[in-house]
Amino acid sequence: MKKVININFQGQVIAIEEDAYEILKQYIESLQDYFSHEEGGDEIVNDIESRIAELFGNRLKHGISCITDEDVEAIIESIGRPRDFDVDYEETRTAEPDASFNDHKARAGSTGSQAHSAEEPRRLYRNSGDQTIGGVCSGIAHYLKIDPVWVRIIFVLLFGLLFWVYIILWIVLKSRHLESNVTKRFYRNPGDRVLGGVCGGLAAYFKIDSWIPRVLFLLPLILNLIGMVSIFPLSRIFDHFDFNWNINGSMAVVYLVLWIIIPEAKTVKQKLEMMGEEEYIRSIREKVNDNAPGTKNRTNSNQPLHDTPPAPPAGTSYSAKTSSNAFSRAPEQSGCLNGLVVLLKIIFFTLVGIFALVLLSVFVGFLFTGTQLWPLKSLFIDSGYETHLLIISSCLLILVPVVSITAWIIRRLMKAKSRPVIGIIAAVLWIGGLATTGLLATRIVNKYNVESSSETTVNVAPVTATKMYVEMLPYHDDYSEFKVIYSRRSPFDNLPYCTINEDSLLYSNINLQVRNSTDSLFHVRAIAASRGRNLRSAKDDIMQFSYPILQNDSVLFLPEFLTVPIEQGFRNQSITVEISVPAGKSVEISDALSDYKNSEPPAVVRKRIRNFSRTYMPGDSNLTPKPQITLTTDTI
Amino acid sequence: MNVENTQSQMRKGVLEYCILSIIRKKEAYPGDIIDKMKGAGLQLLEGTLYPLLNRLKNAGVLSYRWVESTSGPPRKYFQLTPKGEEFYLLLQSTWNELASGVEALTRDQHETNDTGEIVDDA
Repeated sequence: MKKVININFQGQVIAIEEDAYEILKQYIESLQDYFSHEEGGDEIVNDIESRIAELFGNRLKHGISCITDEDVEAIIESIGRPRDFDVDYEETRTAEPDASFNDHKARAGSTGSQAHSAEEPRRLYRNSGDQTIGGVCSGIAHYLKIDPVWVRIIFVLLFGLLFWVYIILWIVLKSRHLESNVTKRFYRNPGDRVLGGVCGGLAAYFKIDSWIPRVLFLLPLILNLIGMVSIFPLSRIFDHFDFNWNINGSMAVVYLVLWIIIPEAKTVKQKLEMMGEEEYIRSIREKVNDNAPGTKNRTNSNQPLHDTPPAPPAGTSYSAKTSSNAFSRAPEQSGCLNGLVVLLKIIFFTLVGIFALVLLSVFVGFLFTGTQLWPLKSLFIDSGYETHLLIISSCLLILVPVVSITAWIIRRLMKAKSRPVIGIIAAVLWIGGLATTGLLATRIVNKYNVESSSETTVNVAPVTATKMYVEMLPYHDDYSEFKVIYSRRSPFDNLPYCTINEDSLLYSNINLQVRNSTDSLFHVRAIAASRGRNLRSAKDDIMQFSYPILQNDSVLFLPEFLTVPIEQGFRNQSITVEISVPAGKSVEISDALSDYKNSEPPAVVRKRIRNFSRTYMPGDSNLTPKPQITLTTDTI
Repeated sequence: MNVENTQSQMRKGVLEYCILSIIRKKEAYPGDIIDKMKGAGLQLLEGTLYPLLNRLKNAGVLSYRWVESTSGPPRKYFQLTPKGEEFYLLLQSTWNELASGVEALTRDQHETNDTGEIVDDA
């Protein structure tokens, strides 16, 4: 009984026995390995795959229900195994038996019988041959001729910053199978692993014993455990250190991240890159002596599947070849761990996907609030230079990505060739947009650099009555609201209104403070406060405030709004009216002003008011005539 | 010195010439080329042919176009570029020289051999 599976092979659905599929898969891997040194090697493999698909199609047409392993073997026989290909590698192999594994470039140059350029121009690609997500990092690493793992680590550390850069590069860069151009690389070591082989890889890279990184990873946990056993006499030493679960957790995260970003050394070449030549051959000798048990030869072929072109030095070639079989198969045996890796990757990508969605919604949210905030622009942004800056940066930041992503999608749909130049221009423009936005943001933030205040004493005619009444003088004309688009309880609560002829702004940011008078008279002070780029500009703004307080006998009229010229915009302008009440007299504040009574004046004003009372208890103006109803207990 | 190696070297030398001449007659996809080579009694593995075509293509000797196929994925049909035509003509003249030269040299061998055998028989 044999299990038949359906595979999508080169766009064709093929029914194939599982065994046959395994053989096919390994054969194609061996081809990939073999041609990976050839310029356009993946294209060759792809062409061969197409051919295989066609041959499958022919076979299936002749009425058989599925592809069996005999079919696959026959096709492989007709196409040939890597060792049968006699295009060239043989001659160079025999010609340079001492060639080390890392000069494929030179080899490719010497074998190329035709006049193809030996050294192609250095360009930035995405590397389809070594990718965690999109191959961007390893493409960059290839360009810089460094280990992709470093680039990936930088990317992970600066994830928030580089996310969009990554997306843009993903879109912009063409994908290509790139030959590794560093001789020593980080790999996870499948031959020396407990969990994912990360520590084994680290050990191989730094040429140390693998228990060292393992202990380092587990050190916080160990110390924690020691700390938990309180009987242990040394535990006190560790009391000073805060080895909590956070560190254990973060070590686990570090491990997971490394697990994901460090590729596993699968082929002989990768193992050579991982541990260096001599080291590798030594480890192979050990392996051969052990003669890895349980190596099941699935294909009944007797040559190694990973028939790697870069031959190890002549003397050791036999041992390397025979054991590559045993060695490279090792990961396949531990299906459980592989499943774990797959699971972790799924979780990782789900998280990344969620994160990307959040970023996208934030982006869209910004877009919406942007249009909502547009009417308020004049409050924060001067006309002229800053307005131009705003228009330029919003165009660059929003339109450029939208247009280029749309264009990219359309090109993808039309299957037109991608034009990286456009993408690069878009990326440059977008980064330019970031720069202008930063400039604008600093300019805006600078407007709130300092807070200034100035006080004026309002001349009050002596009030003979024992009670002073404070009333609101309503604004006499219509005014339009900036607030209309927000809920009442928004952080923009003290935004102004605009006068009907749009020459002034009306602020309701008025605070009313009541305190004891030092003499027997009522005193009224108005303290104006504003923020500005510097003290001078803040003071200049304050000079233009208009807040006429009127008195009619024992009634004090406070205007409903503070009026400032519209050019000032929003600088958190405020007026604090301080009424000093003499002993034995009281003040009654109209209900219309109740909004003003409890509000807190800005910090700069609080400093000016002695005995500032944060909470003002409004007494019931009609019912309970207390001697000093306006004072709270803490205002002495 | 093993004989297989020398044989494969000999075959390799003329392989490109044969392939180019097939393509020159009529644009062809790799399956055609394999069939025609087999028809002419020359064994050729796909695994050998594909990288060779790829290399010729990269060198600008060949160009290809996609043709939809009823029996599978689209096929690459190869044809000679002007550069390839030039390349082919150079190979052709070399081959003609080689063939006539080799023929001239080996004919003597054959004749002596033949006469020798005849003498033996007689």
